[in-house]
Amino acid sequence: MSKKAIVSLLVLAMVAVACGGSTDDAAEEVVEEVAMTTLEEVQARGFLKCGVSTGATGFTEVGDDGSYSGFDVDYCYAVAAAVFGDYSKVEFKQLTAAERFTALSAGEVDVLIRNTTWTQSRDTELGNDFGPTTYYDGQQLMGRVSDGLSANSTLADIDGLKVCTNAGTTTEKNITEGAGLVGATITLVTVEAFSEAIDKFIAGECDIVTTDGSGLVGRRAVNDALNDWAIFPTSPISKEPLGPTYRSNDSQWADIINWTVYATIIADEYGVTSANIDSVDYDAAPELGRLFGKNDGELQTKMGLSADAYYNVVKQVGNYDQIFSRNLNPLGLYREGGANDRWTNGGLVYAPPAR
Amino acid sequence: MVDTIKKNIKAVQENLFSSVGSSILTIVTSYLVLNFFRGMFGFVMTSDKDWLSVLNNMQLYMVQAYPEDDFIRVWLSVGLTFVFAGLSIGLWRSEDRSNVSVMFDRLFKAGLGLLFFTIVAPTYTSYMGNDGFVITEEVFSSSSRLRILIPTLVITVGFFILKNLKINFSYNNSDAVFFYLFIPVALIWVVKLPTIQLDQNRERIIPDPLMPIANSTKIPWTIIFVSFLVSYFIGMYLKDKKRVKNVMSISWFLLPLLIFSWIFKKPQIDMGEVLTGDIPIFVIFFALGLATVLLINNPIFKKYFSLYLGVLAVLTIGGLFIGIPMLGKVCLLLLSLFTVVVPAVSTSKEGKRSLIIIWFVALVTLTFLLRGGASETGIVVPGSSIFGGFSLTWLLAIFGTYVSFPLGVLLALGRNSKLPIVRIVCTGIIELVRSVPYITWLFFASVTLAVFLPAGVEFNLIIRVLMVTAFFSGAYFAENIRGGLQSIPKGQYEAADAIGMSPFQKTGLIILPQALRAVIPTLVSSAITAFKDSSLVTIIGLFDFLTIGKTVIDNQSIPVNFVGHQRENLIFVAIVYWIFTFTLSRRSMKVEKRLGLGER
Repeated sequence: MSKKAIVSLLVLAMVAVACGGSTDDAAEEVVEEVAMTTLEEVQARGFLKCGVSTGATGFTEVGDDGSYSGFDVDYCYAVAAAVFGDYSKVEFKQLTAAERFTALSAGEVDVLIRNTTWTQSRDTELGNDFGPTTYYDGQQLMGRVSDGLSANSTLADIDGLKVCTNAGTTTEKNITEGAGLVGATITLVTVEAFSEAIDKFIAGECDIVTTDGSGLVGRRAVNDALNDWAIFPTSPISKEPLGPTYRSNDSQWADIINWTVYATIIADEYGVTSANIDSVDYDAAPELGRLFGKNDGELQTKMGLSADAYYNVVKQVGNYDQIFSRNLNPLGLYREGGANDRWTNGGLVYAPPAR
Repeated sequence: MVDTIKKNIKAVQENLFSSVGSSILTIVTSYLVLNFFRGMFGFVMTSDKDWLSVLNNMQLYMVQAYPEDDFIRVWLSVGLTFVFAGLSIGLWRSEDRSNVSVMFDRLFKAGLGLLFFTIVAPTYTSYMGNDGFVITEEVFSSSSRLRILIPTLVITVGFFILKNLKINFSYNNSDAVFFYLFIPVALIWVVKLPTIQLDQNRERIIPDPLMPIANSTKIPWTIIFVSFLVSYFIGMYLKDKKRVKNVMSISWFLLPLLIFSWIFKKPQIDMGEVLTGDIPIFVIFFALGLATVLLINNPIFKKYFSLYLGVLAVLTIGGLFIGIPMLGKVCLLLLSLFTVVVPAVSTSKEGKRSLIIIWFVALVTLTFLLRGGASETGIVVPGSSIFGGFSLTWLLAIFGTYVSFPLGVLLALGRNSKLPIVRIVCTGIIELVRSVPYITWLFFASVTLAVFLPAGVEFNLIIRVLMVTAFFSGAYFAENIRGGLQSIPKGQYEAADAIGMSPFQKTGLIILPQALRAVIPTLVSSAITAFKDSSLVTIIGLFDFLTIGKTVIDNQSIPVNFVGHQRENLIFVAIVYWIFTFTLSRRSMKVEKRLGLGER
């Protein structure tokens, strides 16, 4: 009896398992039908899940005590401040370039603020939508002044030189395309990460290194090579608008993210910072009164937020200029005269009116 | 004296310059080694390296974002490990003694090596400057060379004299451990390290001021050292108690579980759940186990014993998919395993009594650990994993070994089983797990595993990775152990059968001890692999020791800029990995020696 009994019982057990499994599936389907909006989900959870980079100087950094800081991280804090009135209610999920969109569509993160370039295919094919651009970047090249290169050099000047870049990104495609158009023959050396490309550049294994302008300026400042390395061409060879990304078809959530970014920009236009926000004269600036929920908070409550949501954003995180200078000025990146300057100064940073 | 020199010259001639070929080999290799050393030394010493990027980020390396307020928990974990180590060294205090002059001889040789390398170290080194031209920099001035050379020379000569005095004094090898620990603990009280300080404008002060090590590091280590010493003496005092040794062995196995479920985690316990859930389940299962032990010799129960076992097996597997509490599921599994061993052990009254005690203690421990492990943690961190860095690497390595080793033994035995269904299932698991790369399994844990779990069950990413790791290294362990099982001659099985041993006794007492002993080297290399493979978790967004050094620190710009200092950190990471794996392999060599592997 014994062996046969055990075998048959095991088979029975497996049947039970199979049945149990199928009933569970049915239960799951029922749960999925009652879908919540992203805002409801985030509020029920009690904290925001924000997808950030695994490491991008100035944009996502982890300090020596494990705390997060950076330009992108500050926008995560800003969204949390808008939703909860408490900027610290964020859980950061550090995502590699390969897994970022999967993580977003699988619901592992509520919003992706991970220096992601807004492109047509990413916008239309992947089930994502892009928020307002927070940082206008563009691909540039860096070479040595001793090789006869200067800030006014063009792509035609790199004929016959060795170019280092990281593999599998649009950076690689842009430079091949650009060099081909002007008829420059280049030797392309691809490495896994940008820091390796820089190491090769310093060691003299390549003459040119190329990536987004912000990265090049940062590395040039760090290496004290302002007079030795030249960044060119003056207008970048590609457009890299970076901003938040969220799932399609949830316009309430999209509005919350968009207006969080706009609120920081509007506050900057009025010169309102986290330091002086409590002394703002709202009668003189009715737009601010509406945005910060002081005169009339209906605009925010219609979005599902509290009336003072954007007051909290500026109070706790700061306006656009503060976020920018806090994180990027130490790297040698400044707003003045660039694409990231205020629209009144000739830049591209512009927000629709709050009314 | 002259004789020694002559002997040494002869040895050099015989070993290094015995023929033309070997002479060439000797010269070429020593040239390569010397060049490597000089290059490395120059690389480490050039002024563009910022070694404080390593030192300043120690906390990040160890625990990542674990909050500072809860550091007492980290110290408790480290302290407990040291206390246990002290107790064990005391309990298993070896009687091996080493002579002092042997140690002096070693120190003399080390001094000679240091002298040699100080002399051959390069004075200048060159590297590529920002402008593309080679810069030559003095890295080791003759004055600093002299400052090192003279004391080293004095000490080396001192050891040479001491060694030749042939002092007849020996010390116990176990006692020496306490001396080795004393040196670093004493050093942290006197050494001053360069520390990063910011001035009013939040600019770094250069050169970095020398500061004593912070009290928050010094005091815990001193307390740990003292408790290590105390526990060592307690262990020595209890040396002859065999029961204490048994308890100690089991405690070592439970220690990591205790640390990760209660100390590192700060569990939030709901007392209501404990009263209505845990305690009734505990009582029911204790009663069931008790009844099994007491009734085992009853003829009616004996008749239906296999049926009872079968029902338990069905319930255990079926229970995984019904909505009963986690504790119930695990208790069912434990009860099935317990019931399997009961007939073999409960032949005497003595055996029955110890079985009941074991059952009680096992259930209490299980309930305790599971309650801690399954509870919500009270520790708030900004990232998605409670800790990273070295703690995560350790967690993965320890669990990669602790959980997967028993699993591997079971899988290996199952693969050799005569029951077709067990054999097929075990072979299937092993082959499935082994034929898919570890990285794929990690992605499976990160993305797909949630689909396979019952509805409502959601595990933290770390737990999911641990589950996958346990199976992955378990499958490799299983294949190693199967090799050991096959090396056992058939006569051993037949002899065990001949003296009337039950299958369980045969496996537990005759086969496994021999099989495991035969595969220790491969098992250790598997454990080392598990330790190193843990760095692969970086691809699913967990931050292990290597990732912190490679990616995180290289991106820090606030308040101090460490961008571009990746190589210093990679060297540090490599050294730490090397220290741990090297220690592990040396230890295993000692164990092999003690078990007489390759001699019998």
